[in-house]
Amino acid sequence: MIRAALVGAALIVLAALAGALYQQWRRAAGLRLQLDAATLELQQLQVACSRLAPAGVVQRLVADGTTPSAEATAERKVATALFADLVGYTAMSERLEPAVLARVLNGYFQRMSDAIHQHRGHVSTFLGDGILAYFGAIQPNPWQSDDAVRAALAMRAALEAYNVELTAEGLPALALGVGIHRGPGLAGLIGARERMEYGFVGSTVNLAARVQGLTRVHQVDILVTEALRAELGPHFVLTPMPPETVKGIAEPVVTYAVKG
Amino acid sequence: MATALDHVAWEPCPFEPQRDRALETYARRKQRMPNPTLAYFAPVPWFARALVDLHPEYGLLLRLDYEVMDLVQLVVSQENSCRFCYAAVRAMLWAQGMSRARIERIEQDLARADLPPRTLAAIAFGRSQSRTGPAGAAAAREALARAGVGAEEMREIAFAVALTDFSNRAHSIAAIPSRPMERMPEQLHVRLMRPLMNFMLRRSRFHGQRTPEGTASVPPHSRLVRAYEGSPIAAALGRTLEALWASPVLTRRCKLLIFAVVSRGLSCQTCPHEIVSALRREGISDATVAQVLTHLDAPELDPVERLLVPFARETIWYEPATIQRRVRALREQLATPQLLEAIGVASLANGLCRLGAMVVDAP
Repeated sequence: MIRAALVGAALIVLAALAGALYQQWRRAAGLRLQLDAATLELQQLQVACSRLAPAGVVQRLVADGTTPSAEATAERKVATALFADLVGYTAMSERLEPAVLARVLNGYFQRMSDAIHQHRGHVSTFLGDGILAYFGAIQPNPWQSDDAVRAALAMRAALEAYNVELTAEGLPALALGVGIHRGPGLAGLIGARERMEYGFVGSTVNLAARVQGLTRVHQVDILVTEALRAELGPHFVLTPMPPETVKGIAEPVVTYAVKG
Repeated sequence: MATALDHVAWEPCPFEPQRDRALETYARRKQRMPNPTLAYFAPVPWFARALVDLHPEYGLLLRLDYEVMDLVQLVVSQENSCRFCYAAVRAMLWAQGMSRARIERIEQDLARADLPPRTLAAIAFGRSQSRTGPAGAAAAREALARAGVGAEEMREIAFAVALTDFSNRAHSIAAIPSRPMERMPEQLHVRLMRPLMNFMLRRSRFHGQRTPEGTASVPPHSRLVRAYEGSPIAAALGRTLEALWASPVLTRRCKLLIFAVVSRGLSCQTCPHEIVSALRREGISDATVAQVLTHLDAPELDPVERLLVPFARETIWYEPATIQRRVRALREQLATPQLLEAIGVASLANGLCRLGAMVVDAP
């Protein structure tokens, strides 16, 4: 009787132990699944990061496990900056409902980003209604000047197609101004400790922005600088524009309108 | 089972597999197992054979351990987003007895995986070479030397990386179907045959023997071939290059232009000298070469070159689905052998440029 009770008790203890072990095993399996999913997500994030910063910088980020200092990633490079802006955005933004305006703008940004990406450019940032993109800042690209102008021509074509859709909906057509310049600058992780991004800074970017401003003066949509024109292939059709003074630059800036 | 490349978009293959019994026999004899994917490359014999002959595991290596080579191939395929090669190496590691959990650990956390420091250094080298190309060669050489890897082993690791780069591009650009390979370890009959596969794989892999020095090789890659003198790699590389130049599908000039564009895009310091000299011998002026390399076009180019010069540039850094769609578009304008040969030449150029930067000093 006592033996049977002891055996019964032992069996109950064993069953309880087995149950606890099984619970632990299930918990471990669940945690393992979560860990696998998280790791996969991190791997995908690393691949995505490779498209936003040079591979070497991403490698350093992964290897260090922390954000490396700006000095560790900064390097001098020759890159091409493309600055694009919507013409007449302020007037349009006052006329349209916020939801409609957001939809129109998102459609515009998506189409312009696609055109830039197709030609090996990298959209660095959206500044209000403006777009700043680089060519040759992330991966070495000996064909960066041709790529940037092809991207601008693709942006022009994409905007024309988008305008057909907008006018069919009774919405105002959009107009674009693009400035492109090539030159040296500092490429690296730029920003504050809380928020850094891979950027290309220096007078090259400033001049691209100023040249974009000149599109209103010359009444054209795409302008390139003399430095960029010197690198372009002979198949682009360019028209010289009269030199203009721009803010922050002593000498008048010579630009060329891109016809095709 | 989810893998790191599941999210990589992969287009349908635009080529039809073509049975070639002579090629099948050749591959079976060399690899001791059938290789059905070679049928996709059959219209260009040198290309199909190169995928067999340049595979390091069939007697090309003297020193490098095969487990290290497998792991290097795994990470390089992961870096290049080649779903086909990645699944193939994974399946091979699994068939050889490595558990799925261990494979996943290696993929997920290579820096902290339970591997010897020299293996970790070789893996890190493969990753960095695929990401940065010749620009990072000097730093990569130093890192391997610091880990105690000798000169000969370093050359073999560089070869394994370069040939994986070649194979990844060949399979990715041609969009060879990856699903059958990815599903392999999940199929019951394959799991039952795992011990047999392990036996066959171990039987088919062997280390080569030192070869006599003085391998004859003609430009434009003679210095690269000479860098492997004494290794079976020299002869295999020399034979592949000879067959490539002898192939009548694309002109020698067109193939040289593809090599030149890839070399320029990778900022290679080693290859351009020999390639530009070879182009000069083909009657192309230095001005035309300069124009092609600066703008990817020149009035002197013929219609096929006009299509393939910009295409060569796209094979340097790419997303698989984007380049696969590009190939589909080119399929309308070129004959299958022409397009396949262009893929083969560009893929090999990408591998050899990376290799040249590691094993040949710039002139």
